[in-house]
Amino acid sequence: MLELEHAGDGRVIVVGRLDAAEARKAQEFLDGIDNPRELDCARLEYISSAGLGILLRTQKRLMAKGGRLRLVNVSNHIRDVFRYSGFDKIFDIVGVADSGQ
Amino acid sequence: MRAVFKRSLASLEDVFAFTEKFFAGEEVDGKHLYAINLVLEELFSNMVKFNEEGPDTVSVEMLRQNGAVRVQLSDQEPEPFDVTTPRPLDIDAPIERRAESGMGLFLVQKFVDSLDYTYRNGTSTITFVKRLD
Repeated sequence: MLELEHAGDGRVIVVGRLDAAEARKAQEFLDGIDNPRELDCARLEYISSAGLGILLRTQKRLMAKGGRLRLVNVSNHIRDVFRYSGFDKIFDIVGVADSGQ
Repeated sequence: MRAVFKRSLASLEDVFAFTEKFFAGEEVDGKHLYAINLVLEELFSNMVKFNEEGPDTVSVEMLRQNGAVRVQLSDQEPEPFDVTTPRPLDIDAPIERRAESGMGLFLVQKFVDSLDYTYRNGTSTITFVKRLD
């Protein structure tokens, strides 16, 4: 189960599991926002390679226009997935611990 | 504990519920749940995507053994697909050279403690082990 919400000013809140079953929904949502700048992952429980592909595609689209997506409130488990896959070199990532929550 | 799942990405919710039920029944520390679900999803979703013509279901068996969780997936397919073949990923590559697919088996190989593959009589069997220390 995945829910996404555009909270305004390019801030997107993602809730639940970003897995292969939900990847298309996430892609369509993010494609529908002109300039997402920040993905709030505080309530993102899980992400798999399917979700990573969505984030990567979104980042490519934004960078082509001079923008960039930042990932904030990232849990330790998800941060491990980002680190193993080299996403810490592609995204600005702020962990839950870093943001003091 | 064993279950069969319909060959569909929509089954992932049931696959995750199966893992949670196993963890609860075997009193496995929840800190290992993410890794096992991730590996299971990557392997299961490959079977869904790359063996569309296969039987309706995929079998999953989970066992706690010698301080580890051992998971086995079985599927019938016409050709072997060895998931233990190294899947290098250049994580230092600039974003324009990064592909949006092909990260799944790389992550599988990162997260497991052992990974085995056999192909006999048209059946692929994948076994992975995650230590619980």
